[in-house]
Amino acid sequence: MSPRRTETGGRIDRLRTIRFTFDGAPYTGHAGDTLASALLASGVTLFGRSFKYHRPRGLLAAGVEEPNALVTVLRGEVREPNIPATMVEIYDGLVAVSQNRTPSLAWDIGALNQLGGKILSAGFYYKTFMGPVIGPLKGTRFWMFCEHFIRRAAGLGKAGTAPDPARYERMNAFCDVLVVGSGPAGLMAAKAAADQGVRVILADLEAHFGGSANWSGESIDGMPAADWAQRMAAQLAGNDNVRLLPRTTVWGYYDGNTLAALERVTDHKEVAAKGEPRQRYWAIRAGKVVLATGSFERPLVFPGNDRPGVMLAHAAERYVNEYGVLPGQRVALFTNNDSAYRSAVALKKAGAAVVAIIDVRSDVSNEMRRLASDAEAELLAGHAVVATEGGKALTGLKVQRFDAVSGSLSGDERSVHADSLLMSGGWSPTIHLASQAGAKAEWDSSRQAFLPPKPTQRWIGAGAFTGSFSTAEAIAEGRAAGLQAAGGAALSAPLPVVEAVPGDPDPAPVFEIRAKGKSFVDFQHDVTAEDVRLAHREGFVSVEHLKRYTTLGMATDQGKNSNVPGLAIMAEALGKPIPEVGTTRFRPPYTAVSIGSLAAERFGDLKPERLTPMHDWHIANGARMYSAGLWYRPMIYGLPGETVEQAYVREAKATRDSAGIVDVSTLGKIAVQGPDAAEFLDRVYTNMFSTLAVGKARYGLMLREDGLAFDDGTTWRLGEQDFLMTTTTANAGKVMQHLEYFLDVIWPELKVTVTSVTDEWAGAAIGGPNARAILASCVTGTAVDNATLPFMGIVHGRIAGVPVMICRLSFSGEMAFEVYSGAGYGTRVWEALIEAGKPFGLVTYGLEALGTMRIEKGHVTGAEIDGRTTARDLHLDWMLSKKKPFIGSAMMDREGLIAPDRLELVGLIALDNRALNGGGHIVEALDEVNPHDSLGHITACCYSPALGKYIALALVKGGRARHGTRAFVSDPLRNRFGPVEIVSNHFYDPDGSRMHG
Amino acid sequence: MAEQQLPERQSPLEPEYHPGSHGNFEHGIDVILSETRPGSILQLAAWPGEEKRLIEIIRKVTGLTLPDGAGGGTSSGARAVFGFAPGKFTVVDEAEGLAAAFAGIITPAIGTLTDLSHGRTAIRIAGPKAEWVMAKFFAIDFALPAFPLGAGRSTNHHDIFAQIQRTGADQFDIYVFRSFARSFWKALCHASEEVGYEVQ
Repeated sequence: MSPRRTETGGRIDRLRTIRFTFDGAPYTGHAGDTLASALLASGVTLFGRSFKYHRPRGLLAAGVEEPNALVTVLRGEVREPNIPATMVEIYDGLVAVSQNRTPSLAWDIGALNQLGGKILSAGFYYKTFMGPVIGPLKGTRFWMFCEHFIRRAAGLGKAGTAPDPARYERMNAFCDVLVVGSGPAGLMAAKAAADQGVRVILADLEAHFGGSANWSGESIDGMPAADWAQRMAAQLAGNDNVRLLPRTTVWGYYDGNTLAALERVTDHKEVAAKGEPRQRYWAIRAGKVVLATGSFERPLVFPGNDRPGVMLAHAAERYVNEYGVLPGQRVALFTNNDSAYRSAVALKKAGAAVVAIIDVRSDVSNEMRRLASDAEAELLAGHAVVATEGGKALTGLKVQRFDAVSGSLSGDERSVHADSLLMSGGWSPTIHLASQAGAKAEWDSSRQAFLPPKPTQRWIGAGAFTGSFSTAEAIAEGRAAGLQAAGGAALSAPLPVVEAVPGDPDPAPVFEIRAKGKSFVDFQHDVTAEDVRLAHREGFVSVEHLKRYTTLGMATDQGKNSNVPGLAIMAEALGKPIPEVGTTRFRPPYTAVSIGSLAAERFGDLKPERLTPMHDWHIANGARMYSAGLWYRPMIYGLPGETVEQAYVREAKATRDSAGIVDVSTLGKIAVQGPDAAEFLDRVYTNMFSTLAVGKARYGLMLREDGLAFDDGTTWRLGEQDFLMTTTTANAGKVMQHLEYFLDVIWPELKVTVTSVTDEWAGAAIGGPNARAILASCVTGTAVDNATLPFMGIVHGRIAGVPVMICRLSFSGEMAFEVYSGAGYGTRVWEALIEAGKPFGLVTYGLEALGTMRIEKGHVTGAEIDGRTTARDLHLDWMLSKKKPFIGSAMMDREGLIAPDRLELVGLIALDNRALNGGGHIVEALDEVNPHDSLGHITACCYSPALGKYIALALVKGGRARHGTRAFVSDPLRNRFGPVEIVSNHFYDPDGSRMHG
Repeated sequence: MAEQQLPERQSPLEPEYHPGSHGNFEHGIDVILSETRPGSILQLAAWPGEEKRLIEIIRKVTGLTLPDGAGGGTSSGARAVFGFAPGKFTVVDEAEGLAAAFAGIITPAIGTLTDLSHGRTAIRIAGPKAEWVMAKFFAIDFALPAFPLGAGRSTNHHDIFAQIQRTGADQFDIYVFRSFARSFWKALCHASEEVGYEVQ
């Protein structure tokens, strides 16, 4: 039997022993234990070291608000830091370690920080990182040096660097009513709503539904409250219209009643089932939300209130009643309200000696006096704890007479021998989600707490969340909220009957006992009452500034314990009432959220792959692929031993010598159909399309509304009212959006539909002197001679038995044809063309060779249509129709767009026979040390097999006027400097004789 | 051109299409995944005011009567139709050649016909956990009252546009762009591992 485990009680499975390690030492617990309860049962009192002072810390709480006992859980190489031990369910093989200590939790060298005293006060790092402003170290990097050690000395757990192999998923959920929190209020709300037949989701961050019913020791409907909760949950589980989400923290409340939740699916399991995610991120869209999130017990602020063994009173009750663990053998309680008396009775019943109840109030009610008597505890009314004793565990405390009105201490100190001190400073409703939902909390002077605001979104509060701290009130409010949320009428049926220890819900307005010693407000960030006062003295009077300066309420617990005491102390310092000081707005997330859960199924797979119909053929035939946007395209089809340059030079040369074929399925393709299709294209393109004959294609240019070039491509007229527009691969989506925008918003009267048919067609471009002969050898149903298929003509036929559409157009500058077939036949047609090309030495070529041949021809792509260039800059002004307006025509002649010093498209030839680089600058005079006066930059470059030179396209000031002149490339990033000749962008076959045939 | 028997189309899923049981199937198969490979997938669009005439044409050609309302749809064993945008419908047939049946009937005065038989890939997910798996991908309410039988929805999963039709109480047909289909399929299989799935 472990030293602190009770003989009976709790919902743990005492027949199942779980083995785990903490800081390398083996421990056991029972199924149902948390790491906190199992370690506490094993006699562990020291759970962590504090953030700044490295003070020894024990358990303060039993739930999600635990600020001290943060641990790192290890799974293989993966470590997850800063998890409250109270939220870790133990499993066989669990490995947990403590944090922020060197070399060990028991002997931590960082504890020397406690000697730092006032130096480490609020705003410590803001002050120190400014560096010494006087003395010999002024102006040196000494403090930078110190920063390294300071940062190491302070902090929480360390994030891991090993890749996380766990699976995360996102779920989208819709419901009529989302109930957050499954205490008596939440269970009643869920039941009432579910009975109305609406869809209900009930989420609770704990593993078991029931909330306070699991440990209150009360009875409901004549049975232990925990059993009642279990029965309610079982009933809900049997409803088809209810989804139960245990271990699910609703952490964000966003607009439109969209809430974010994190479900810990397998964190409590030794091994996840196949495909089971570690965590699920739930995006829940709820018609109505019932917030039944309960309340947090507040600590009292007094010297030594952070010593291991000092715990919240309800937490002790929970350890006893839920886990069968006593926090100590000799227990004292310190309170400003009635709720601690119930804890005293529970502790006594479980076998602890309750040595004293210290109550700041002198007028304790007879009922409470009777409870103290039941607990056999000495009642010290009108007293306060002024000190605690012990090292890594509590050994005793000192009390003094206390006046709750004036806050003054009097009389002699008296020692109380105890190994556990349980405190209760009143209760704060858990209003985080309501605060996130967008309204300001309201101070209630009776409850001495911030109550939820009036809803600005569709939520209803119930139970302790609203400040109704009794279970009977929670049950009544829960049912009413559930009914209201579901749109049901009020019920006259009797409510479950609660038997509970009575008590006044209103505490005495006492938050701090001012005596000598460090009194902690924020345990997690080591913020003391004196730090709050120091911030006030230094001028931080706004509550938001106080938070940031002192770090009060930051980090993983987000002020769950410290918020109200901190504000109360600040208010006292300011001499203002608490409501005037106000409170900070809670922000998401309510608790820490793993990045993995936000990435969800995109973890390790950031974008989908877009594949052409011939993708597998390319892979099987040695293509080296690269990504182009979402697409994967062949870069080269390299031969063994070939460099990329050797491969593309070979491919381009072979194409120009005989024939080559390239997969052009990625080109954007948009069906433009309808009676007004031609008119629409006339408006969209700079040039005329209404005059295009059926069965012909035309090259078109689009401008943006601001007159800059947008995209180019050919559009084929397949029928009188049926066009097939092609776009650049990269701009397909943007062009589609552009067209839809103009049809939906600007010209809704036009009868035109636009549909993405990019994926409908597989495209193969075959070019070169023998391209026509190859086609002729495999196409049936049509001729492909010059008369039947002139330049920009379109014919229909069959290849390998499947229908194809062939358009004669050229990007390479060779006699070329684009062969389109249904995508499902793409590989079949491709293979047939390859087979037909064998006698001609047909090569497959990739994007590098494609780019090489287009540079040789001086065609533009997205590298030149870069959002800054105009049609004139690119020498495409011949396409700007003067007969009609078009998108961009009104803006294209603006002064800045026709200025003579604009960058214009030119060609470059490297005069030193060395490769040029994209992005390299063009200058008139070389200055390698201080490069300056750029004339422009290179947009695309290659080795040209046709010219036998390294060439490039560039955008250069003066453009055409510089043809035939010499300049220099200046590329300091890659240390490439050298002479170039500026020439026309049409390097190869400028009159087009090869492609016109 | 004389009608010829066309060869079988290549599926974009081929290298990743593995019939059999996968994932956590030891405890049962909760979803069945398949590629339905319809012969015809058409997009029909009506000009504003011409929707009823187009719906009537759809009824005459396919025998399917579209219910009123946005996103309404219906399916028989071999054919299916649903609205996916105002005045726009996806019509699907197991057999090829449905476009020819509509050609000439959908006049320029009524609307347009676009053949997407090759451009879209049809993936079916069926089984008791179909809604669960779908909820991993799409921010859509898949509950039967919100997404009735036969109805269609246009949505997307990250970069992948998808049209979804409910073709059974626990069955959905998903139409994705062919180029994205393999990527989507892999993601769908991955997401289905948890519940145990079978590829048919």
